Amino acid sequence: MSAAAARPAADPRPGWRDRRELVLVAVTAASAGAVGIVNPGFLTVENLRFVALNSVVLSIVALGQTLVIAMRGIDLSVAPLMGLSAMVCGLLAQTHGLPLWGAVGVALAIGLALGTLNGVLVAALNIPPIITTLGTYSLFGGLTFLYSDGTQVDQVPPAYAAFGNAGPLGLPVPTPVLVLLLVTAACWFALGHSRFGRAVLAVGNNAAAAYNAGLRVAVIRIQVYALSGLLACLGGLVFVCYTGSATVTTGTGDHVELQSIAVALVGGTLIAGGRANVLGTVLASLFLSTVLTALVFLQVPPIWYSAGEGLMILVAVRGGTRRAAGRA
Amino acid sequence: MSAQRDADSAMPGFYAAQGIRKSYGAIQVLKGISLDLKPGRMVTIMGENGAGKSTLFKILAGQVPPTGGTLRLAGAPVALASPSAAHARGIYLVPQEPALLPELSVAETMFVGALPTRGGPLGRRVDWAAMRARARAALDALELPIDVDRPARTLSIAQQQQVECAKALLRGCRIILFDEPTSPLTSHEVEHLFSIMRRLKADGCTLSFISHRMDEVLEISDEIAVLRDGVLVDVVARPSFDRARLLSRMVGRPLKAVPRRAASNARDEVALEVRGLSDGLRFADVGFSLRRGEVLGLAGLVGAGRTEIAETVFGVRPAAAGEVRLGGAVVTGLDCHAMIRRGLVYVPEDRARHGAVLPMTITENVTSGLLDRVRRRAGLLSARDEARISAAAVRDFRVRCAGLDQPLRELSGGNQQKVVFAKWMTTGPRVAILDEPTRGVDVGAKEDIYEMIDAMARDGMALLVISSESEELVRLCDRILSIYEGRVVAELSGADISPAAVARSYLTAAAPSGGVAA
Amino acid sequence: MDMRAPAAADAATPRDGRRLPVGGWELALTALLVAVVAGFGAAAPGFYAGPASLLGLTENFLPFGLVALGLSLVILTGGIDLSVGAVASLSAVLAAQLWSRFGVDIWAASALGVAIGALLGLLNAAVILRLGIEPLIATLGTSFLYGSAAVAAAGAAPPSGFPASFTAVGTGTLGSLGPLAGLVPIQLALFAALAVLFSALVARSPFGRVLVMVGYSPDAARYSGIRTGRVLATAYAVSGAMASLAGLVLASYYDAVRPDMGDVLLLTAITMVVLGGISIFGGEGTVAGVVVSVLVLGFLRQGMLIAGFSDMVTTMLTGAILLASIAAKNLFNRRGTGLANQIWATIRRPEPPRANPN
Repeated sequence: MSAAAARPAADPRPGWRDRRELVLVAVTAASAGAVGIVNPGFLTVENLRFVALNSVVLSIVALGQTLVIAMRGIDLSVAPLMGLSAMVCGLLAQTHGLPLWGAVGVALAIGLALGTLNGVLVAALNIPPIITTLGTYSLFGGLTFLYSDGTQVDQVPPAYAAFGNAGPLGLPVPTPVLVLLLVTAACWFALGHSRFGRAVLAVGNNAAAAYNAGLRVAVIRIQVYALSGLLACLGGLVFVCYTGSATVTTGTGDHVELQSIAVALVGGTLIAGGRANVLGTVLASLFLSTVLTALVFLQVPPIWYSAGEGLMILVAVRGGTRRAAGRA
Repeated sequence: MSAQRDADSAMPGFYAAQGIRKSYGAIQVLKGISLDLKPGRMVTIMGENGAGKSTLFKILAGQVPPTGGTLRLAGAPVALASPSAAHARGIYLVPQEPALLPELSVAETMFVGALPTRGGPLGRRVDWAAMRARARAALDALELPIDVDRPARTLSIAQQQQVECAKALLRGCRIILFDEPTSPLTSHEVEHLFSIMRRLKADGCTLSFISHRMDEVLEISDEIAVLRDGVLVDVVARPSFDRARLLSRMVGRPLKAVPRRAASNARDEVALEVRGLSDGLRFADVGFSLRRGEVLGLAGLVGAGRTEIAETVFGVRPAAAGEVRLGGAVVTGLDCHAMIRRGLVYVPEDRARHGAVLPMTITENVTSGLLDRVRRRAGLLSARDEARISAAAVRDFRVRCAGLDQPLRELSGGNQQKVVFAKWMTTGPRVAILDEPTRGVDVGAKEDIYEMIDAMARDGMALLVISSESEELVRLCDRILSIYEGRVVAELSGADISPAAVARSYLTAAAPSGGVAA
Repeated sequence: MDMRAPAAADAATPRDGRRLPVGGWELALTALLVAVVAGFGAAAPGFYAGPASLLGLTENFLPFGLVALGLSLVILTGGIDLSVGAVASLSAVLAAQLWSRFGVDIWAASALGVAIGALLGLLNAAVILRLGIEPLIATLGTSFLYGSAAVAAAGAAPPSGFPASFTAVGTGTLGSLGPLAGLVPIQLALFAALAVLFSALVARSPFGRVLVMVGYSPDAARYSGIRTGRVLATAYAVSGAMASLAGLVLASYYDAVRPDMGDVLLLTAITMVVLGGISIFGGEGTVAGVVVSVLVLGFLRQGMLIAGFSDMVTTMLTGAILLASIAAKNLFNRRGTGLANQIWATIRRPEPPRANPN
């Protein structure tokens, strides 16, 4: 029916390429600068390196989340997946001396397999994403526990620790940061310039229209959840190398699932799907790390840290609300 | 003649439906439609709401599989499994309100599913430059000044349709169907769309569109096919168009044979008065007064703003200016909750979305209008009292159902509508607005509903009836206002009321000069 | 189709217009509950050591059930409330501080705690309705805010050592009411009373009726004169109040408060609601189903713990049950051939055009 059809042509000007990245860079730099004035220790190379390194794991996981949200889905299971990967890789290294390249293979295989499981549940069995990943959240968490059998990772071989903290070939940039750059570039290329990524966005914009245009919507959904699982597990591997530890609450304890959603949204990805900002996700994660570290320097009681995260989500989403329809 | 047709039908671009049937459950929507679409010709489908026009188009475009019959393209039978299969065969449906990809650019929405790529150091990548250039070229070919980099959500409906036309051409589709494209458009936008259509026609494309607007149809069509209740009742080719014949074919009976209501029940007391009402968007300066026992009709084209007027009076849409008085008291600006309590009810046009909650039971729907009517026990709704109200409603409104606990969605359209009537009438309203009261209702139930409306008027209820069927207004109303593009353009009463007069009152408002081939 | 059958109306015998509180799903869950209790009773020594101990097991999981009851209302509207865990923590901490720092009577402090929970729920509704943010994100945001506030309010040494009358709520029985009542934990009595109340509320009260209408179709509800904003605000307020009640029961159970003690509630409570048959899209489902699902998941968890399985394994099983039940429901609703064929058909033809007779 045409009754509600007379929608006036919307304003074509801003919003299209919104400047979320610039805003985030400016805000991050400004807060770092401001803290530096109060406490010059914040601006040392050592500390800035720490700030960057600290944001890597969340960034990697949140990039997967960005893909999923861009497709109008959601993935709560990234947190236990990250923990599972950290635990499996860490224990294999600690007790069986698995070489690093082997750990990479293990992490990616776990991520692909379990991510695909999420995708099949959503796309083929029609279970809403929030329910699906709520269920697999418990499942994957249980797997971590079963595998660990009461033990935990507290010591990783030197190769792992070096991978997690130092730069390769004596470079001053730590390897995790390089990994993140690589992953970011890949996601940026995929979402911005590949047929696959554009199809993901098309599904997020309007799944029925995407289907009518001949896209294989269910297959795309499965692939995206698989990728999200893959990145969550890569994040877990980087985490265990960087910190040298993994417990049954790694990932879930810090609510990485909520944090990853938060930074994706703050970065400019629309919760209603259809628009994603890969660079924004990484910058938002860096911003979060900057603020959290700054709060330590300013001796703000840590209790208010997560309040900041909450405000950040509400403010960021307020700007990007489009359609408030039920998420399917 | 037949040999000629056989020769024609093998031409590329000749798209024929043969004996197409479609049923949804027990409801037969299309009862064997045979229609030829030919290159370089515009075939218009006319028909009342619910005649099956959109369903026919969806089948032609591969969105819905037919229950029976054959589609033939250039003489050869085709089976269309999906819209993309139809696109691959050159058939494209421009929906009335295109479902675009709001966050993507105009260019990308035109290429979705078939983005051009080129090789690169990192593998194949989308060739944005080529995509933009081709999109721009396609828009330029139709002389459409639309920036291809704009996000699709910033396009107006008219522009979205224009982009869809260009998109069809880009995909090499030369059989283009337009599902009622003009009703959301202004007259200026319609002219633009027609100029595009003429260009496509001159270019040899096979075109078909759906419209209700007689003047438009007479202007643009080469052939007019009239659909009624799922049957193709007439196909006329230019130049033998005849306005009166088309109108009578659409409504199915000779126009003069329409029954007219007996005597007016109108009393002196004014129940509803509307003055200078505007919503600032779809209608302006609407005024009328409605007396107790009177039935006032609103006639007009689909999209003329009648529903918006009703919704604004009822309080679910904001008014920008004007005044509404109910029984003498000013009620402008009150929400519908307050209106219902003051005795004004509204039976909406879109039953599934606004009128009823289809998964809920008959009883729950009947009592949902005013739960205060139901007796309480310890603050809880008395099940017995609810059942009593519901049973009475089912009896009085002749609802056919298996039981009061039956979910509404299991009933036929006519019975669903009777439940919606019952829901409001048992609240004892003084004024009722009925928006397309027999939409999606079968013939038998229709007559039931007419009798109910007569009875309400006899009881002194003031009724405002919106209908797109002239016959229905003639059957029901004491007085009829004709609405065109959001304004009252004519008023008919007494002996002046006839289906022809009603149809003429708004169809001629469109083109005062008289139209093309009338 | 309506063919004007004579005596059409008489065919409709006016049956009782009651929306039955139990349907096939609730019965299936009940059968599952019986199987779980009987199974563990037979197989896990220690699970059944007399009626008192069996009923006593419920003390370990009923706070989840309280949250699930409140959350049911929100999910029936088609929304979600991710802040329940944080609300539980914050209001319990605040109530405890009122008691310990300001000398407020523990019961008065508890009442204030529940009121605070309701207010936090109203704040959620305000964010959703006024700022137009989706419930999922709005309550995600507020959950961070409330969580922080809970940590701040708790301070370095959160209060503990409540009066015995208060800790009895979490661990005591109705023993003073008679010998048989001694079998019934106070928590269970509280839950049972609230379960009956919520069931009546949803199934038979005017509020429940409009709640379900809003869940099925917000537009139709509005056109029926229902002020949908108020309905939503009430649902979120009730969810907040129930979460805070759960927080207080936890405080009583542990005889202490902690700013993160509500965190465990969220995922399990959502699982209970969804397994109970309430559709995440709103409208569909009954409180009775949720109540049974609370008992199923609760006893399952307790049984497995007693049988020597770890906490995590039981959690894992909870997740598996959730997925399997929803998948089974979806497949059951879709007619067709074998499971594999159905899945394959979905992948090949993912967005079937909706049948629409109009």
